[in-house]
Amino acid sequence: MKKILIPVGIIAVLAILIYSKAVGTYNQFVQLEEGINGEWAEVQTQYQRRTDLIPNLVSTVKGYAEFEQETLTGVVEARSKATSVQIDPTNLTPEKLAEFQQAQDQLSGALSRLLVSVEKYPDLKANQNFLELQAQLEGTENRISVARRNFNESIKGYNSTLRVFPNNLFAGWYGFVAKGYFEAAAGAENAPKVEF
Amino acid sequence: MRYPSAIKQVVLFALFLLQGFAVAQDFPPAPNPPRLVNDLTGTLSAEEVGQLEQKLLAYSDSTSTQVSIVLMGSVGPYDISDYAFQLGEQWGIGGKGKDNGVLILAAMDDRKVFIATGRGMEGVIPDALAKRIVTDMILPNFKMEAYYQGLDQATDMIFKLASGEYKADEVLSEGDSGGSIFFILLLVFLFVILPIIKNRKDNNNHMGGRGGGIDFWTTLMLANMLGGGGRSSGGGSFGDFSSGGGSFGGFGGGSFGGGGAGGSW
Repeated sequence: MKKILIPVGIIAVLAILIYSKAVGTYNQFVQLEEGINGEWAEVQTQYQRRTDLIPNLVSTVKGYAEFEQETLTGVVEARSKATSVQIDPTNLTPEKLAEFQQAQDQLSGALSRLLVSVEKYPDLKANQNFLELQAQLEGTENRISVARRNFNESIKGYNSTLRVFPNNLFAGWYGFVAKGYFEAAAGAENAPKVEF
Repeated sequence: MRYPSAIKQVVLFALFLLQGFAVAQDFPPAPNPPRLVNDLTGTLSAEEVGQLEQKLLAYSDSTSTQVSIVLMGSVGPYDISDYAFQLGEQWGIGGKGKDNGVLILAAMDDRKVFIATGRGMEGVIPDALAKRIVTDMILPNFKMEAYYQGLDQATDMIFKLASGEYKADEVLSEGDSGGSIFFILLLVFLFVILPIIKNRKDNNNHMGGRGGGIDFWTTLMLANMLGGGGRSSGGGSFGDFSSGGGSFGGFGGGSFGGGGAGGSW
C-alpha cells in the first residue's frame, strides 16, 4: 500500500501546484485584459470626440463659398468611413486594429489637408468660431495620442506577460492571444507642409 | 536585397537603443526638495522664482490644486504638448484621483510654451481657454522677454478659472491627527502598560536574583522619555513651520489625459 501512496501523493501535490498556478495566471490575464478594455474605451472616446467635432468644422468652413469643395467632401467621406470601422474590445486582433487605424489615419490626413488649405483664406482663419474649433481639434488630437500611448503601454504589459514561459502554455489553454499595437501613422513623417 | 535589410535592421536596432536613452534622459527627475516653480534655465531671477513659488504654494494650500511652472532649454525631438503630458504624468502634478494639476511648460530655446491641464482640470480650463491664456497673456509678454509678467498673469487667470472647483482638502489634517493618536497610544504603551508589566515581573521576581533586569528596563524607559521629549518638540516646530507657509509638500500623483493648449513666440 505504501508504495502506491507515495507517487499518488506526489501527483496530488503537483496537481494542486499546477492548478493554483493556472488559476493565478488566468486571473492575471483577466485583470490585464480588463485594463486594456478600459484604455481601449478611452481611445474610442477620443476618436469619437474628434468625429463629433467635424460637422461643426465643415459647416463653419462651408460658409466661405469659395472654399474648395473637394477638400470638404474628402473630410466628410473619410469621416463616414472612419465611423464605419468599430472594434469590439474582445476582438482587438492586430489585423482589426490596423484596419481601424487606417480608417482613422485617413481622416487625420483629410483633416490636416483641410487645415492647410484654410491658410489661404484669411477671413476664415480669423473667424472666432473657427479658431475655437481648431483649438478643440488640436486638443482632441493630443488626447488621442495620450490615449493611444496608454493603450500601447497596457498592451505591452499584457503581451509580455502572455509570451513568457510558462504563461504561454496557460494562455494557449485558455485561448488568450497576443493583441495588436497602434503603430506610428504611416506617412506621419511627411506631414503636409504649409506653403506661402 | 539581403544586405540592405540586414543594415536596416541594425540601424533600427541602434535607433531603438538610442530612443531608450532619449526617453531615460529627456525627462528631468521631480525636484527634490519638491518645488512648484522650476526654472532649469536661469531665465528668472531668484526673487521672481520665490514670488511665483509663494503665490502657487498659497493657492495649492488653500485649494489643493497644484499649478506648476517649468522652464527648460529644449524638449528635444518631442512635441511640446507630448512632452508636457509625459512630464506632468511622471512628476504626478495634482492630487491622485483628483488629477487637479496644471503644468505650464516653456522651452526657452525652442521658443514654445504649453499649458497642460490634468484630467480633473479639463472641465474648468477647456482647451479653447488655455489657448486664449497662451495667446493673450503668455506670448505677448514672452515676445518682449517679460517672462515673469507673462507667467504671473497666466497663473492669475488660471486661478480665476479654477477657483471653487476643488476645496482645500481636510484629508491632510485628518491624516495628521491619526498620526498623533498613534503617537499617544505609543506613549501610553511605553509609560503606562510597560511599567505595569514590569512591576508585575518585579513582584514575581521578588526573591529572584535578576537585579540587572530592572536596570535594563529603567534605562530603556529613560531613553524613551528622552526620545519622546525630543520628538514632541520636533513635532511642535514642524507645526510652526507649515503654518508659516514654508515649503511645498510634494506632488500628489495626478494624471494628464491630453488637455491644454500651447503656442510659440
